[in-house]
Amino acid sequence: MNPIFNLNNKNIIITGASSGIGRQCAITFNQLGANVILIARNKGRLKDTFDKLEKGNHLIISQDITKYDKLEEVVNTAVDKLGRISGFVDSAGIEMTLPLRSMQSSYYEEIFSVNVIAGFELAKIISKKKYINKEGASFIFISSVFGIISQPAIVAYSSSKGALISGAKSISLELASKKIRVNCISPGQIESTRMTESIFDKLSKEEKKKRIEMYPLGLGKPEDIANACAFLLSDASRWITGINLVVDGGYSAR
Amino acid sequence: MKGMKTEDFVNELKDALEIEDEDQEITLETNLKELEEYDSLSVLSIIAMIDKNFSQQIPSIDFVKITTIKSLMDLIGKEYFK
Repeated sequence: MNPIFNLNNKNIIITGASSGIGRQCAITFNQLGANVILIARNKGRLKDTFDKLEKGNHLIISQDITKYDKLEEVVNTAVDKLGRISGFVDSAGIEMTLPLRSMQSSYYEEIFSVNVIAGFELAKIISKKKYINKEGASFIFISSVFGIISQPAIVAYSSSKGALISGAKSISLELASKKIRVNCISPGQIESTRMTESIFDKLSKEEKKKRIEMYPLGLGKPEDIANACAFLLSDASRWITGINLVVDGGYSAR
Repeated sequence: MKGMKTEDFVNELKDALEIEDEDQEITLETNLKELEEYDSLSVLSIIAMIDKNFSQQIPSIDFVKITTIKSLMDLIGKEYFK
């Protein structure tokens, strides 16, 4: 493999690392030579991810990222133990399938706190001079194809993912002078993740079949997203910032 | 838990289904699926309503076997009503 596609010696923080895309990111980045700092609420599942890692200095931190006042301590600990940060992948996210008529203001607040605010708060902290690698860094927010196009009954989820895409662009302009690149990746549905299972649980058999048929290349695998992340974290993408890379098996091509 | 009055439950259902016509007769024997307002979105609303009032998460797949309002109440559990 072209050596430009490696992540050797990069310290990368991953939220939502206990399952799905976040977990696969940890495994893939590790295989490409990175040290990973894994953050999630569920300690048991976090440990499962950790056990899948090979050599390197890795760290797991069990933390609810919506406890914003704890985030500085998390980043401080990571830098203290592993060194400065070269990458950040914000993969923590929750979904909500509920018609507008059943929505309550508190539901929007809950979704936005996890899906948007926590990631932006972390980006603020990690980009501080005392934490960030002076040679440059790359931040990735995991958005969703539903941040660009949508479906009925996902107003909170869809709008939170749209917020990530536009927010990341603003952040990319601010952090360019620190050589920090900031991008989004917008996945389509990934098979057998907790989130997809949760969405499919609410659909009838026919609806589920119809949904899958909307993906020309079928549903995705966590590896498909982790590989795209690895590209955006690597020096191979050094001139790419402020974009939203759609990885959706052709879903949004229609 | 004291149990919900049947009448209150029917009103909550009307809300979830967005049935605005106060005169529309809805009884325990009304077949939900024959209502014009019943669709896949209203199922999600009904699920949310049941979660809120009874702290129960009913999978939408269970709605396949629902017919009348009474059958929905049986699914939730008779003990939750008075």
